[in-house]
Amino acid sequence: MANRLAMYIDTSKCMACRGCQVACKQWNDLPAYQTENRGTYENPPSLDHYTYTRIRFAEYDDPERFQWLFLKEGCMHCGEAACVDVCPTGALKYGPHGIITFERDLCNGCGYCSQFCPFGVPHLSQPSPLSGASQLTGLEGQIEMARASALDGLTGEVKSAKCTFCQDRTVNGLKPACVKTCPAGALDWGDRDEMIAKAKARIDVLKSQRGFPQAQIYGETELGGLGRIYVLKAPPEAYGLPKDPKYPAMSTVWQKILQPVGQIAFGATIVGAITAFFVARRNVHMEEVE
Amino acid sequence: MSVRLRGTESAIQIRWIPKYTTLERFLHWVHTATFIPLALTGFVLFAPFLTPVAQGEAGAHIRLIHRIAAIFFGGVPIIYTILQPRRMLMNLREFLSFSRYDVLWAKNAIPYYVLGRHHDMPPQPRFNTGERMTALVMILGTLTFGITGLSMWFLKSIMPVFLYQLMVFFHDLMFIITFAMFLVHFYLAVIHPMMWQSLVSMRYGVVSESYAREHHAMWYYGERRAKEMWEQRHSES
Repeated sequence: MANRLAMYIDTSKCMACRGCQVACKQWNDLPAYQTENRGTYENPPSLDHYTYTRIRFAEYDDPERFQWLFLKEGCMHCGEAACVDVCPTGALKYGPHGIITFERDLCNGCGYCSQFCPFGVPHLSQPSPLSGASQLTGLEGQIEMARASALDGLTGEVKSAKCTFCQDRTVNGLKPACVKTCPAGALDWGDRDEMIAKAKARIDVLKSQRGFPQAQIYGETELGGLGRIYVLKAPPEAYGLPKDPKYPAMSTVWQKILQPVGQIAFGATIVGAITAFFVARRNVHMEEVE
Repeated sequence: MSVRLRGTESAIQIRWIPKYTTLERFLHWVHTATFIPLALTGFVLFAPFLTPVAQGEAGAHIRLIHRIAAIFFGGVPIIYTILQPRRMLMNLREFLSFSRYDVLWAKNAIPYYVLGRHHDMPPQPRFNTGERMTALVMILGTLTFGITGLSMWFLKSIMPVFLYQLMVFFHDLMFIITFAMFLVHFYLAVIHPMMWQSLVSMRYGVVSESYAREHHAMWYYGERRAKEMWEQRHSES
């Protein structure tokens, strides 16, 4: 893809200040909400419909030393995106510069994207933003949230959500909000090939001068090339990333095989029945019909 | 049951033979009235020209209609099993019994239904081969829809992703099979000129004596007698 843009993420420079999380919420107008201390600095507990990016904390005990790893999570903007292929509404699309865009108004909340994404990134809103429950606080808010959550479980009235690389910024030549705010210089944004070159140069430095022999790039070739180019200090599994992410076979089967087969089957049945009717009308003698 | 045609003093008397109970007919129509909206709301995902209906708020409502209809659709066999368990078992046993006459039926189905050739059609019990296959597919379909649909509805966040993907696949596959079969069922039951009494029987629960003799000889005469008659007719020709 010509002129594909990508986000460079250097986990060796990230200090987990989580300024990116805040900048993301600010630019995308996503509310913050009360969470509970789970014995980790990681917060909120996972990506969700109000959290498009998040720093994941992982502990890695490699043979040489103990490492505390920080991974900036979010949509990978895959070159071969299963979410786009299964989305029945066209809310998820291959947008300009290789960005997987998301049009919230088109989403009907079916949730296939959340189930077919190899990285488990898209999250459904629950409770529905339409219910207004998320605006309330305190006990009243909690009760209302629980009620709305149960109701939405029944009705399925939800919306998907994920990082869009701040599509409104990036198509206008700006950097994503998280990149702009990163004080450690761990994030960068630009032409994908340049980001890959930058990552490789950084990995050489990490290996030769900084004592990270396992340093490696992630995202260069996976799933048609990801829109995020990671510089990792340790193997991907240590960060909780799939070593060899696979495009789910079912996503092709569903829309590219099963649906055309259905269309042909229904069409053939209708044409067959109409033909049979006219032939039968000519051949069946009604005076013999019991 | 016999009915005297209105306006005639004497002549024609039609004997009507009960085929379905009132509950069976009622549940059949509930099944129909829920299957059609279910199929149409599901069909939205199969036809690209219907994509606008699947989008946004419209799509959310389509999904809601699908879920509401699904509850009643799934309720039909449960209510039937609770209220008329013996009838249910009797029908199920009949649906599951196949013989060499079914092979003969399959051979003669097209000449019979399309070309109107009555002669070689073998005798059939209360449900002919086609009806039994329809019933079995619908039973299998309802079970599949129930398992896969409820899993997708309630276990989305719990079940393994691969299993979820399989559920989507089988839900769709079963939709193709049952909807194609529904179209055939609709054609034969409602449109086909020879089968005019099938709609009558699902409305009033009865078929005429002559219809039963023609289409369900094993039920009308009893299995042995019907087979004897058919063999005799065959040896003569």
